Amino acid sequence: MFKKKSEHAVRSFATASVLLAAVAGSAGITPAFAGTINIMETGSTLLYPLFNLWVPAYTRAHPRVRINTEGTGSGTGISEAISGVAQIGASDAYMSNTQVKQNPNILNIPLAISAQTVNYNIPGLNTVHLKLNGPVLAGIYDGHIRYWNAPAISRLNPGVRLPHHRITPIHRTDGSGDTFIFSQYLSFSTPYWNSHVAYGTTISWPAVPGGLGALGNPGMVQAAAQTPYSIAYIGVSFTKEVQRAHLGTALLENRAGRFLLPTKATVEDAANQLVNKTPVNERISLVFAPGAESYPIINYEYAIVNDHQASMATANALRKFLMWAVSLQGGNSRSFLRQVRFIALPARISALSRKQIAKIR
Amino acid sequence: MTLRPFRIALVLITSLIPLALLAILVFLGRYSWPAITFNGWHFLWGHTWNLGNLYADPIMQRGQLAPIGANYGILVFIVGTLLTSAIALLIAIPVSLGVAIFLAEGLGSNLKIILSFVVELLAAVPSVVYGLWGYAVLTPLVARVIGPGLRSTLGFLPFFSGPIGSGYGLLAASIVLALMVVPIIAATVRDALSQVPPEMKEAAYALGATHFEVVRRAMLPTVRGNIIGACILGLGRALGETMAVLMVSGGALNYFPSNIYSPITTMASFIVSQLDSAMQDPTGMAVRSLAEIALILFIIAVITNVIARLLTGTSRNVSSV
Repeated sequence: MFKKKSEHAVRSFATASVLLAAVAGSAGITPAFAGTINIMETGSTLLYPLFNLWVPAYTRAHPRVRINTEGTGSGTGISEAISGVAQIGASDAYMSNTQVKQNPNILNIPLAISAQTVNYNIPGLNTVHLKLNGPVLAGIYDGHIRYWNAPAISRLNPGVRLPHHRITPIHRTDGSGDTFIFSQYLSFSTPYWNSHVAYGTTISWPAVPGGLGALGNPGMVQAAAQTPYSIAYIGVSFTKEVQRAHLGTALLENRAGRFLLPTKATVEDAANQLVNKTPVNERISLVFAPGAESYPIINYEYAIVNDHQASMATANALRKFLMWAVSLQGGNSRSFLRQVRFIALPARISALSRKQIAKIR
Repeated sequence: MTLRPFRIALVLITSLIPLALLAILVFLGRYSWPAITFNGWHFLWGHTWNLGNLYADPIMQRGQLAPIGANYGILVFIVGTLLTSAIALLIAIPVSLGVAIFLAEGLGSNLKIILSFVVELLAAVPSVVYGLWGYAVLTPLVARVIGPGLRSTLGFLPFFSGPIGSGYGLLAASIVLALMVVPIIAATVRDALSQVPPEMKEAAYALGATHFEVVRRAMLPTVRGNIIGACILGLGRALGETMAVLMVSGGALNYFPSNIYSPITTMASFIVSQLDSAMQDPTGMAVRSLAEIALILFIIAVITNVIARLLTGTSRNVSSV
């Protein structure tokens, strides 16, 4: 009884904010003339650059479809796909079981595979790839490990002269899929973190004096660049910005105990490990995959879509666009994905995504 | 007789304002009621904000359905809000009084018109512009120049010593807020000063007062009520400012500032930064707790206003002279 009511109220609160966004957004949309189909995409800022590559290419070939893109955050993507304001909600995180139970019509469709780097700004050491693992990162982010030359870090990096300086851990203040996969890495590798902090798009960061919050991936890069002796987690589509800011990139320890950088090979290996475990509804974490050459922090980038669209025409256009997006000749081709350093879906996952897309009516 | 409909219309229109205020209060109260019963008084004293495990099934706790581990305490944000606003006013009040006096008394009429216009224009600049400036220019400046300077001069005071950090934090947020508040206070006070009856000034001059004494003894006391009113306006803006603070505050979570350079979070900016995640809470408790923060912010704004009114007592405004 209460559940129903609260759900309704949450939705009306969400709708209010969505309405505002729609009013603000509509200024830029010319009235649809006969035959034009409008599709609205909103959500993850990590997927946003990819959609901005896809949409012009796709609409050039399909002039009757107009697709508007917005980078607002994964949480907004999910809630606007549920409320129906957006046809595509972009999200780095899959929906929780309870959310799916409340919204059985909503599909979680992987579009591509992304990865995340852990970056640091240690004057003099940014060209060195430091080795870090889940328990050490958990220690840094919960305040147990306070100095760069702490024994736990030195032990992983013999021969590196680490400075005796306080570490400033930087986290995202906005709800973020990056926080989701980073905290999953900590949870899956560190039992203490899992039982005390756990994972989510926002988590209750333990109190680390001096610990910093930043807005979005651009904010993470700027805060890390500006704060000596800081550490941050950043989506792989921002690698160019990370390089421009001369930040260091960590080798992360995977489940098999190997320290790796995210390359096309290590990300693909990690994805391949979990291809056969991916269920039909495709809601699964790819973080901390088994396998010697698996990079530990990767994830599916999702389109959150309602399988009951308002009109047949919208459903058809949406289905066609998403089919194009997951195909190797279309949106999953190397020419698009290379620019944001994403990896194409493996064949089996692509088939599962197509099966889900076909359900859109 | 013909005045009657006019009168009724006026009463109706006038009552819209208190009604809107009441409507906001009722909406916030009703909407956040489940959160109020769930959180209890702990909401105000707790300093841990935890949405709980949004990926586990929610359970019944304290009569409400909420995620496991959900725990909402906002004392850190209340402290952040009050501290930034207080420091911002400490910086802004002397500056804006100086600006107002200079504009009203220290300039020839042409320059006065132009500069007054500029000050009023500053009050109309959208807050996000101040935030962007703070983010790009001020935070590096605080980290490299203002912070070290303050520490070397005032470092003997505990609140000014200790690590300076990255520049994001209490000091940067307060400076940005002060900049946003100065034009509001300055424009209002300048207006009041220019309305001080000339007879009053002339009388003071006739008694042999210097220009400075005229301003200090005759003009400022006359506009005392206006000054306090202007400060309340400024305080209102500082308490509720969202975007600009969010961009420079450093988003501290779960800990109190240890010095003036520490990262902090204010209530208004926290609501914005958390809404996206809160909407992922299937029970809705997170969004309702954010609404409860809004309610508390509303109450704090009312309380500070009432206190300010009591402080001014029955002091007159120059416009009512």
